Amino acid sequence: MTSTIVQALLNGIASGAVYGLIALGLSLQFGVMKIINFAHGSFMMIAMYLALWGCQHLGLHPLAVIPLVAAALYVTGFATQRWLIEPIYRKEATREPMGVLIFTTGLWIFLDNLFLAIAGPDYQTPPGEWTNEVWMAGDLFFAYPQIAGFVVACLVTLLLVMFLRGTRIGRMIRATGQDREAASVLGIDSSAVYQTSFAIGLAVLGVAGALLLALVPVDPFIGDLYGIRAFVIVVLGGIGSIGGAFWGGILIGVVESMGSQFLPITYSEALIFAIFLGVLYFRPAGLFGLEEA
Amino acid sequence: MQPRQILTALGAVALLAVVPLVFDNPYTLSIIILTIFYAYLALSWNIIGGIAGQLSLGHAAYFGIGAYTSTTLFLSFGLSPWIGMLAGAALSALMAVVIGLPCFRLRGAYFALATLAATVILKVIVENSHELLGGPRGLEVRLMHDAPLYFQHTRKEFYYAIVVVMLAVALYANFAILRSRFGYYLTAIRNDQDAALALGVDSRRCKLTAAVLSAVLTSIGGTFYAQYVLFISPEKVFGANLSVQIAVVCIIGGRGTLWGPVLGAALLLPAEEVARAVTGGAPGAAMMLYGLLLMVVMRFEPNGLIAILKRVANRRTAARARVGVA
Repeated sequence: MTSTIVQALLNGIASGAVYGLIALGLSLQFGVMKIINFAHGSFMMIAMYLALWGCQHLGLHPLAVIPLVAAALYVTGFATQRWLIEPIYRKEATREPMGVLIFTTGLWIFLDNLFLAIAGPDYQTPPGEWTNEVWMAGDLFFAYPQIAGFVVACLVTLLLVMFLRGTRIGRMIRATGQDREAASVLGIDSSAVYQTSFAIGLAVLGVAGALLLALVPVDPFIGDLYGIRAFVIVVLGGIGSIGGAFWGGILIGVVESMGSQFLPITYSEALIFAIFLGVLYFRPAGLFGLEEA
Repeated sequence: MQPRQILTALGAVALLAVVPLVFDNPYTLSIIILTIFYAYLALSWNIIGGIAGQLSLGHAAYFGIGAYTSTTLFLSFGLSPWIGMLAGAALSALMAVVIGLPCFRLRGAYFALATLAATVILKVIVENSHELLGGPRGLEVRLMHDAPLYFQHTRKEFYYAIVVVMLAVALYANFAILRSRFGYYLTAIRNDQDAALALGVDSRRCKLTAAVLSAVLTSIGGTFYAQYVLFISPEKVFGANLSVQIAVVCIIGGRGTLWGPVLGAALLLPAEEVARAVTGGAPGAAMMLYGLLLMVVMRFEPNGLIAILKRVANRRTAARARVGVA
């Protein structure tokens, strides 16, 4: 019994790190632009399909496709922000960006159903045996994709934190997030910063999607579940906080995996949303209170 | 009301009464019923989502409560769905308060997400309640054939008449709100909540009232759906697709206006049918259209298609005025 619990806890932490990574890009976009991208889950779904096709048609290892997917999503993010979101955002920059919210809702529905038409409704997994291999440690066992997901997710989170703190572009992004007016007075081109941060957010999401593909099969509507979950994580961790997204992801991973030990599997989703509503109500700035929302 | 308005209303009633006589083909009539039904739902959503500007992505919650309450009461106790409809509406009003109290502290995106999350929770509860609510497979309404007292009839004209009355009620509700003090409060909240608060508008109370009205109407829609289709499932009546669809019809037509939601439904539902026919019923084609149109509208005319119509009409009036002066 104890080892089942420990196993569930460790499984939760491993998948939680990937969930955190999914939420990371969203948190960055949210923190810098104060916009909500409702199509976040759909972009993750696209990343998973790109990874799948990379494995199927190019014969690549599920880990080897990660850089390709990240690059493709970076370009997608840049283009989306430059040509789709920015024209709407500029029109209503002073108000609550409600138009962007509704626009990305449209993008979300469109992309999900586009991929339903392209890829069909079936669940698909990457070919090859790697996703099924396990590593045993006493009573405990871990699937390779789990270990890889955890390690890569931690690494990418760390890299992003270092990038935002240590580089010139990173500091420009943070400055714009803190005070757009002041940043533009200092000569920072805010629309260039937005394009870059949106693109980086999606590139990180690309990594997360490729990692997730090794853990769960992809279907056109997988983004609904993980997209909403990413919002939950962002709110738990405190909006715009990278560390918060990481810990929020781990928390959600553990709740999901522990919850499924004691409750019917469908209830763990309801449990996550109940926590979400509770946090929204009692701690709108996030559980970890790292930054004021 | 002025004589001219009474005449217009009478004319509209006469026109609507003729419709089932002209389109007596059941397929055409079913599309007309569906279009009017969505206009009704969009008008219900409009009260909180349009006039008050609170983007709700959880209206399936009230729709589902309406559908499941009347159906469960009918199946378990043989209670007429007409009474079940009222019970569902009361339950939905309560739910609107339960969801609204915590959610109205939140703005914009948070509110949208919170309503989405609350609906998912409800759906999961229904899916796991196998005994009473039929679990994920849903419930079938027991057939009574021609039983108007039990909200059932084999002829589509019966449902047509009901949905027209529902539309009239929803139109009147929106009309009355838009020209009342309460409506001005809601518009003020939509435009700038802080300014509205500073002027002494009790924003929370106003939003709650709007949410309850909106929920009651949506819930009645849910009961209508259950009786019309005679089958309900969690996916259909509590699903995110439905929440999104209701909101999209209203937004594309024009949020916060009286005729925008009607225009949205009048364009989108037939368009959806055409898309389905053209693609040979390809899965997702209709929803793809919804998404695409939503993006196009937000990009070029965020106030909805009704704004374009109004501009055209204004230009015409202006042109005529100029001719008159000359």
